Amino acid sequence: MSATRRNVLAGLVLLAIAIALPFVLPGRYLIGQLTLFFIWATVVTQWNLVFGVAGIFSLAQMAIFAFGGYATAMVGLYGGWNLWLALPVGALAAVVFSLVVGLACLRLKGPYVALLTLAIAQGMYLLIITDTACFSMEGVTCRNFTGGTRGLAKYGDFGFREWLGYKYMAFGDYYLALGVLVLATAFSMFLMFGPIGAAFQALRDSPEYATARGVSRFKFQMLVFASSAFFTGLAGGVFAGYYKVMGANTLYLSPLLFLLAMMVVGGLGRTWGPLVGAAALMLADEGLKDFPEYRFMGIGAALVLFVMLWPRGIVGAAEAIGAQLQKRRSELGGTSTRQH
Amino acid sequence: MVEGLSAPQSAAAGVNQTEPLLSCRGVSKYFGAMAAVKDFSFDLARGEVLGIGGPNGAGKTTVFEVISGFNPADRGTVLLEGRPIERLPSHAICHLGIARMFQSNAGFDTLSAEQNVLVAAAFGHAPRLIPPLTYGADIRRAADEALDFVGFRRARSTEVRGLPALDRKLLMIASALATKPKILMMDEPVGGLNLEEIEQLMALVRKLVAAGITIMLIEHVMRFLVQLSTRVMIMNHGEKIYEGTPAGLAQDETVTRVYLGERMSKRIVAYSAGVGPQ
Ligand SMILES: Nc1ncnc2c1ncn2[C@@H]1O[C@H](COP(=O)(O)OP(=O)(O)O)[C@@H](O)[C@H]1O
Ligand SMILES: [Mg+2]
Repeated sequence: MSATRRNVLAGLVLLAIAIALPFVLPGRYLIGQLTLFFIWATVVTQWNLVFGVAGIFSLAQMAIFAFGGYATAMVGLYGGWNLWLALPVGALAAVVFSLVVGLACLRLKGPYVALLTLAIAQGMYLLIITDTACFSMEGVTCRNFTGGTRGLAKYGDFGFREWLGYKYMAFGDYYLALGVLVLATAFSMFLMFGPIGAAFQALRDSPEYATARGVSRFKFQMLVFASSAFFTGLAGGVFAGYYKVMGANTLYLSPLLFLLAMMVVGGLGRTWGPLVGAAALMLADEGLKDFPEYRFMGIGAALVLFVMLWPRGIVGAAEAIGAQLQKRRSELGGTSTRQH
Repeated sequence: MVEGLSAPQSAAAGVNQTEPLLSCRGVSKYFGAMAAVKDFSFDLARGEVLGIGGPNGAGKTTVFEVISGFNPADRGTVLLEGRPIERLPSHAICHLGIARMFQSNAGFDTLSAEQNVLVAAAFGHAPRLIPPLTYGADIRRAADEALDFVGFRRARSTEVRGLPALDRKLLMIASALATKPKILMMDEPVGGLNLEEIEQLMALVRKLVAAGITIMLIEHVMRFLVQLSTRVMIMNHGEKIYEGTPAGLAQDETVTRVYLGERMSKRIVAYSAGVGPQ
């Protein structure tokens, strides 16, 4: 109970800070970077459910993200829907896509899941960039269904410019992305603290023992792939509406590694791991932005370092230190606390 | 209203009290060309403690794997209260009331002791189409009672990873109990325990029997097997070479030759005398 309360309290404090930030930050650049941070952190909180909590080494999370983004953009472009209405459709499309991925991985274990999901993401990338067939004509130029190498554009946006004016339009995207992150974090924590999260972890720790205690592997694998896809797809849709271009660059290896590093550096399977990791990596990346040649190397180095030295991530290490301190304090101050 | 009440009564009357709780009929299991279990049949009555012994590799664990749905039989059928279950997956078999333990000290290592049992209480008792979103009072109570029943003494928030053997076994039993089983299958439960701990586990098994749970017990420690079992089967090369009372083991020539040896046979006479008539 008290652990839950502490988590909620910490979340509320962070949320209050995040709400106030745009008003004190100088310039739009940082607001944009924070918007991006919220989007990536959303994906990482959901990926963590699959990868960290359920222990399924899926690398499909950016493909799910892209699927949600593309679906949102397509519904806007071809269906002519308002992007706000297209958002949930894109998120649900991502859920369906993720279920298919989960089904494909059902009989696989460990590294084979990683290989298959990477192949799925790569296949999706290739399908998009080799798409040259004319789907519709735009004046005299031909438009591909997926947008091909140029990506999709002109599918509309969230209309923040009209609502808030040029000066505050960035606030709109910022708060939208923040809202999605808050919901996604609350959702993943709710799962992690309840029976469903325990079932994911039980299957991760010992699949045989878990099934012998009534936990169906099929059901919970489907459940973790479905539940982690909704907010990932939603983040993809927000990304599409924010950038106003949806391209296959979301499927490159570098963003995948960037997000993987966030998850590992923060601490796999830990409640606050994804947020801490995303913040750490975004900060590090920001620090390296004047040295573009080291940026990618920095991510790689962080991954290697943490996998080898602190496999439980920043949060795991902090928890260990905290436990140590508490133990020492209770050893030293055992009598004095009793006197109170 | 009266009809609604009478329905379960007639169903209860339909339960044949002489029908075995569990029944294996002609079960065979092959690994490649080797028959790990060969044309194996037995019945298990309610309230029994059926002990299974035999040399390493005799096929005892494989019998458990077949019944619990981990390794489906190549031939034969398994009936639970007359209903065939040999094609069901292991989680469904757990829902029907067969809880198994593992020869290794299985556990959900990164979960707390309490969560280990909570998972079983939440998912093990009955099939639920929609999984519970929170631990309801009934789930918490089931887990609590199970932990109390086995006498788990450590803090319930302890992570299972570092627990000693006895505590892990107690937890495995508690999590089995939390699924409210009709049958508990124990695979070498006292492996790795010292004498005092074995005594403690024997007392627990007696308590389980008193609580109305039917038990199947694989064990190498003959004292444990002989003193607890109401009936014993000895397996060798996938086949049953003995079925009968624990006391009868010592008189059986085949069992003495392939499994027990002369010295152990003599000791069994003493063990079974120690039990006395029940
Ligand atoms: N999964 C498996 N694959 C191949 N052979 C197996 C497998 N499981 C058990 N066996 C073999 O089946 C035989 C019976 O094993 P088991 O049932 O574990 O014996 P017991 O529990 O009586 O010691 C052994 O020869 C063992 O090597
Ligand atoms: Mg065995």
